[in-house]
Amino acid sequence: MKRRIALLLVLTMLISALSGCVFGNNKADKGSNQTPTNATQGSDQADTKEKNEQANSNEATVSTGLPPMTTEPITLKYLNFDSEVLTKKLAEKFMDKYPNITVEVEYINVADFGTTLLNLINTGEVPDAFMFSDSDFALSNYLLYDMTELWEADPENQNILPTINELKIGYYDTDRKWATPIKFFPGIVYVDKTVLETLNIPMPRMDWTWEEMIQLIKDATDHTQSPAYYGLGAYNRLDSLYGIAASQDIKGEFGWDGTGFDLSVWAVGEQEFADLKLNRYVAPERETQRMEDWLGDWEGWAGASGRVAVMTEAYWTYMNIWDTPEYKEDAKINFVPYAIPSVDEVDGVANTIATLDMGGISAATKHPREAYELLKFMGWGKEGWEAKMEIFLDESITNASGMPLKRDSMPAPITMDEGVWADYRSLYPTNEEEGPYWDAYFKNCTRPVPFGWMSIAGYWTFCDEYFNKLNIHNLVDSGQAKAADYAAEATEKANQYHQAAMKQYFNIDWEPTN
Amino acid sequence: MSKKAKVKKVKLGKLEKREARYGYLFILPWFIGVLVFLLIPLVQSFQFSLADIRMTPFGRLITFVGHENYTQIWLEDKDFPVMLVSYFLETLLSVPIIVVFALIIAMLLNGRIKFKGAFRLIFFLPVIIVSGPVMLMLTGQGATTINTMNVQAINSALNQFLPQYIAKSISEVFGNMVTILWYSGVQILIFLSALQKIDASLYEAAKMDGGSEWECFWKITLPTIKSMILLNAVYTVIATSNNESNPIINIIQNAMFAGNKGYGYASAMAWMYSVAETLIIGIVALVLVTKRDAYDKQVKKVKKDRVKQNRAIKRARRRGRRNDGKIKKALNSK
Repeated sequence: MKRRIALLLVLTMLISALSGCVFGNNKADKGSNQTPTNATQGSDQADTKEKNEQANSNEATVSTGLPPMTTEPITLKYLNFDSEVLTKKLAEKFMDKYPNITVEVEYINVADFGTTLLNLINTGEVPDAFMFSDSDFALSNYLLYDMTELWEADPENQNILPTINELKIGYYDTDRKWATPIKFFPGIVYVDKTVLETLNIPMPRMDWTWEEMIQLIKDATDHTQSPAYYGLGAYNRLDSLYGIAASQDIKGEFGWDGTGFDLSVWAVGEQEFADLKLNRYVAPERETQRMEDWLGDWEGWAGASGRVAVMTEAYWTYMNIWDTPEYKEDAKINFVPYAIPSVDEVDGVANTIATLDMGGISAATKHPREAYELLKFMGWGKEGWEAKMEIFLDESITNASGMPLKRDSMPAPITMDEGVWADYRSLYPTNEEEGPYWDAYFKNCTRPVPFGWMSIAGYWTFCDEYFNKLNIHNLVDSGQAKAADYAAEATEKANQYHQAAMKQYFNIDWEPTN
Repeated sequence: MSKKAKVKKVKLGKLEKREARYGYLFILPWFIGVLVFLLIPLVQSFQFSLADIRMTPFGRLITFVGHENYTQIWLEDKDFPVMLVSYFLETLLSVPIIVVFALIIAMLLNGRIKFKGAFRLIFFLPVIIVSGPVMLMLTGQGATTINTMNVQAINSALNQFLPQYIAKSISEVFGNMVTILWYSGVQILIFLSALQKIDASLYEAAKMDGGSEWECFWKITLPTIKSMILLNAVYTVIATSNNESNPIINIIQNAMFAGNKGYGYASAMAWMYSVAETLIIGIVALVLVTKRDAYDKQVKKVKKDRVKQNRAIKRARRRGRRNDGKIKKALNSK
């Protein structure tokens, strides 16, 4: 008995001692009752900022409006899930420009990115600049540096994709700039010229509307042939595209207009897509019995069938797959690009959904000015893009699979610099048959609106905890439910999640006003 | 003698001391391992479960929230409690299936068959091959279900007389039958080694007395390997619970990175999970723990009786002595 009591005492002591270790090491907690937010974390940046400003006060502000870069030897660490070869080459070019700065680039697979980033932070190896996979993750852990002053002082930021500034992407509904898009994959709809020629259907006009696209999908479906022709092959669901295409006032997914969500907009697109599916206008998905019945191949892919008129695929699919002799010459698949159509006719370029991968500066960096410059070089800056173009144009530079980098999920420029865009345009077909489509497409894809998880606080949490669990897509697609029935409750929930996120991340009492 | 004679402690000699030191030295890595990789993380994770934790670039931001994470899990989280209950039921159902299957296969492999080595290899292969991505691929292709088994029909039949969550858990077991059986590789090996250690003369003696194979199994094989059944059952609970394809593990991992949850919430989930796991191990141990041998029991009973008898004799003697004294006194006074 005595032994047991002694053992219990030892265990209690051990637990108390270790307790002290854990709660005593509470470095970030300043002992105040103030709720920690990105804003209060920002005050921790004050020291770093002050030093930075002091260092710069004695020197004349350069013409760019930004404080000058340090001339002291420093090391910057950049963590990313971009192309490993590309970022390393870019880091070399950055170091050529700033010989006093050593850049350490670390590539992490996107699936392990969150875990690795937090592990690095835990061990004190905080990167100075980094990409991130969803905004809730970065904001809830207060990872981001408030880059407002740097962003607003940089004149180059006036010559980038206009929606970044107009929609205040990376401000997260606050008046501070926390993050910014550093990779841009425009939204795209592919139309197979060969299929339309075979079916004797004229090509749609380049500034088509949503209705025209739906009509084309219906016209190009022909089940009398074997294998059947389908109007649509859908990698991206149409409701994702419709959410932004519905109105030029919409700033984000699920009808987000800056004042609140409205999922009734999404419900229209969701229902339309489900109806197309139910009426067999949409090609079967991979690894389904329907696919086996259609192409005789369980693992078949609509994009390789040559029997689909319209494909909603990723931007990089063209360069990675369809722009190869195997598809173009052997399979006679000839996809040309179209911008995602708007529901209403729009004067000029319309807003379209796009993949915008975000990047930020670490809240704890000792060199925010230099980290900003590095992030700009890697992401949106003109000089960085000129360096990227040299790399993309040089086909001897390949990835680990021996593929030239332009065929390894190459993004589009974020800068609007004409020289960069001219070089970039030369990477895509310029021949008489396809050239005009690419010209028109690149003209019409420059007003991207990011997916919700990149630009709206609380969006991912809402999807993860509420929306995805309702299994709405399957229920509506199979005709068991109507999308409109979910809209009101889902709108309320989305607003609630955003409200909670704004309070937690920024200590802002947000209310929907739409 | 009123006091017990003290046993003199024998001091260890030089050789024994050196051997003792070697002993401690050999187990030192284990002690360090347990302390660094088990005790400290264990205590830390418990403390994390009582806090809201954010991994900021300035360090860990820890806000003590008491039992809030636990109450939130049980009162507000839609998925975790439901999944915990179905995990509990599924594990209780699948453990006997795996253990019995492993025992049958081990007995077959222990028999006199050709290509014994090749068969053993085949049954152990899933342990090596079926991990992470391979498992996901096989599950995706429907290779982990028995196509001829109509799980839907089983589910609707069970639904008629069982609550839905129990019926669902049982039909899940049927739906993942192949996966469950794949988890039996190590258990087969353990049973095989236990079976090979059984003294063949026991079977010979039993057969000479007219015992059938069936009787030999129940009277010799099963009692001999009973402790291995417990070992295998505990191993199976731990292996299936810590498996990376276990949905609860995924939920906990996702909670770590969720904006409104974080490490604290995930730690509380992990603790709830470990309590459920311990509970299952407790149940398994309760059912299978080897009871004391009948002979040992008899010996102990005899010993106890002897002690009782001795006490009774002593008491009688004392009483006799007291009575003698009283008689003597009475005689003297007269």
